[in-house]
Amino acid sequence: MRILLDQFTKTFGATTVIDKMSLDIESGEMLALLGPSGCGKSTTLFAICGIHRMNGGRLLFGERDVTHLPSQMRNVGVVFQNYALYPHMNAFDNIAFPLMIRKMAKPEIERKVLAIAELVHIEGLLKRKPAQLSGGQQQRVALARALVREPDILLLDEPLANLDAKLRLEMRSEIRRIQQETGISAVLVTHDQVEAMSMADRIAIMDQGQIVQLAAPKDMYDEPVTDFVASFLGNPPIAFLQGTVEGKTIRLENSDIVLPLDAQAAKQGNGTPIRIGVRPEHFQPEHPVKISGKISFIEEQGREELFDVTLSNGMRLRSVQANGGAFRLGDEVSWGLAADKVLTFDPSGRRI
Amino acid sequence: MRRAHLLGLGFMTPALIIVFLFFLAPVVLTAVFSFTSMSSGTGISGGAYEINEQTLRSLTDRGFPKAKSEKLGHDLYRIGEEGLGAVEADFGKAFADEIRAELSGELFEGRRDLERELKKLRSRPRSIRDLKKAADLFKRSVLNTRFESETAFLDGVGETGVELTADDQAVLVKTAYTGWSWTTANYELITSMASTWRAAKNTAFYVLLTLSFNVGFGLFLAITTFYLPKGQAAIFRAIWILPRILPPVLYVMMWKWLTWDTGFLSIFLSNFGVEPRNWMLNSDINAWVCIVLINGFVGASLGMILFSSALRAIPPSMLAASEVDGANRWQQIRHILLPQLQWPILFTTSYQTLSLLTSFDYIYLSTDGGPGRSTEVWALYTFHTALNNYGGVLQYGLGAALALVLVVIGIAASLFYLRLFKFNELVSQPRIEQ
Ligand SMILES: Nc1ncnc2c1ncn2[C@@H]1O[C@H](COP(=O)(O)OP(=O)(O)OP(=O)(O)O)[C@@H](O)[C@H]1O
Ligand SMILES: [Mg+2]
Repeated sequence: MRILLDQFTKTFGATTVIDKMSLDIESGEMLALLGPSGCGKSTTLFAICGIHRMNGGRLLFGERDVTHLPSQMRNVGVVFQNYALYPHMNAFDNIAFPLMIRKMAKPEIERKVLAIAELVHIEGLLKRKPAQLSGGQQQRVALARALVREPDILLLDEPLANLDAKLRLEMRSEIRRIQQETGISAVLVTHDQVEAMSMADRIAIMDQGQIVQLAAPKDMYDEPVTDFVASFLGNPPIAFLQGTVEGKTIRLENSDIVLPLDAQAAKQGNGTPIRIGVRPEHFQPEHPVKISGKISFIEEQGREELFDVTLSNGMRLRSVQANGGAFRLGDEVSWGLAADKVLTFDPSGRRI
Repeated sequence: MRRAHLLGLGFMTPALIIVFLFFLAPVVLTAVFSFTSMSSGTGISGGAYEINEQTLRSLTDRGFPKAKSEKLGHDLYRIGEEGLGAVEADFGKAFADEIRAELSGELFEGRRDLERELKKLRSRPRSIRDLKKAADLFKRSVLNTRFESETAFLDGVGETGVELTADDQAVLVKTAYTGWSWTTANYELITSMASTWRAAKNTAFYVLLTLSFNVGFGLFLAITTFYLPKGQAAIFRAIWILPRILPPVLYVMMWKWLTWDTGFLSIFLSNFGVEPRNWMLNSDINAWVCIVLINGFVGASLGMILFSSALRAIPPSMLAASEVDGANRWQQIRHILLPQLQWPILFTTSYQTLSLLTSFDYIYLSTDGGPGRSTEVWALYTFHTALNNYGGVLQYGLGAALALVLVVIGIAASLFYLRLFKFNELVSQPRIEQ
């Protein structure tokens, strides 16, 4: 079902946390709400499920206006960050709770719970209390409870935050699989860009209560609209260099380094300040636009190696290279930029 | 024993001493007293031997020959040195000597007989009144005379000239003894007296009703304040804690003021033409309602505090989850809140049962068991029997036996609750998991 959040405003007392935000979730898609801590992701989620009242704007589930409906009357499934399972009920009763509340017939409940338990692979654990389940298993129970009543939308608030690295990887694909199998619209709240990139059909990047950009992961990675978006996506993160346009070149601040980036330079007038962003994979020994510096940091990551290269003016570039390079800490190197991949931003951070 | 054990024992010593002094010793003493016939009549030290009207009556009941007990009750007049000495002091040597000469060693059944004989003497006093007084000086009666030892008592009885068989003597000595003795009669009394059964019934009624009110009202307060905004909830809780922190005497005074026939209720209701009356003691039902409310409001605050803190330990997301799952307020209370209050409810119930069983302070201060003895619970009944009643006869032994029954019930209940709670598990496992 299509979910439309229109001009949503949320205030806590005198502080406005979210101001006139609009968001359109398409039917059957998984949308990730990505942003730094405190930007209003959970607040948005709680508004959609009705736990928080909206201070302005509208919320539509399909054609139905649910803005003023209490959460009991909206058909939403939520997986909370701490799962919020009911400790006194076993897994079966936890999953059956939404159906039991609706006074559904016993055999019907049983059929549905068993079906959903099979979907999330916990058939054997239904008799256990939450305390007797591992984190990942609790997660699956919470997911089953959210899905069992066939909600119009599934809301996931940092569902993987409490899991260890391996389980996180596993549940990432599990949640995605289950969402795709059920074809349900879903909102995934996360501050982990890898999670957002790997699970979502589209990502909405939020900053201070505003959606900065809404796009598919690949598009957003390649074409960020601001330096904030560019810096939020990608690991290791993008590196920024300050400079000014000098004809067909860009001169870096406080140095005589001149980069012949005529395509980028052409976008701004002569003498205007400019920021360029270089992702680690676009700063490599073999690329053409050379720039010299000293290796100031090396991090082995097994499959690849991460280098920090400090330029003469103190600015830093990052490079990710496959293993095998014989570079050492302190080496003077002259590596190159992939000119067509370098991103440029104006002083306010907007992409140009 | 290892040093560490000794050290542990050392640390335990003060606690052990306290347990012994303030728990074990009183219980043991109570048990001991419960097997005696101690009362304010017998005193708690040794006793004396004395025949009085009461003794005479019980003697007959115990099969002592009626003729002999009647004789014991009569005054006798024996002319002996003792009486002669007194006469000499009061009426002069001449009279005394004359009596000694004429009547020495004689025994008279009544005063008139002796008076008649005295009138015949020359040196007798002139007035009849003095004569009667002189005759009285020879009165030898065991009635209402205290004898400190058994031999003195038997000598005294011997002087009356009553012939006693060995059986008679045993019964007489036992009946005349005013001190306490060992007996199991207290326990027989407890099972046979109607008043103990009434006290037992009252106690069961009181505990059941007050407990239900306590826990029910505590729950109600905890849940309603849970849904109130923080500030209001705090005010409400503070109000309901008042009965607990108010000194009991003051608190009960306020209730009395409320219910007196010139109190608030009466004055208020008189506006509607209701006769003023003492609303607390007017009838059994009124008294019970007052007792349950007085105790209930005090106990409810404890439940409220325990339940409130248990409710606040529930993660907010769990409540949000249940709302999203479609549960309305009532379903939320029924399926989420109450199950998580299971342990505090059980704890409050057991704790309150024990304290209600033994406490009677608020009842003592308010109705004192009245009207009649319709609200007299076991503990208060014990108190009245042993320590404080209108009749003034304090039956320490019976009271101790009554108290011991409570102790035994209390210990049994505690053991039961400990098992029920499986205390070790309760301590080792958190009850609210996430
Ligand atoms: N009940 C509240 N009262 C006042 N301010 C609140 C309340 N809840 C949230 N906020 C504020 O609203 C802003 C957004 O909070 P929100 O919980 O939505 O952040 P978030 O994006 O989910 O962050 P995180 O990733 O840390 O969970 C924060 O600045 C927070 O301080
Ligand atoms: Mg959050």
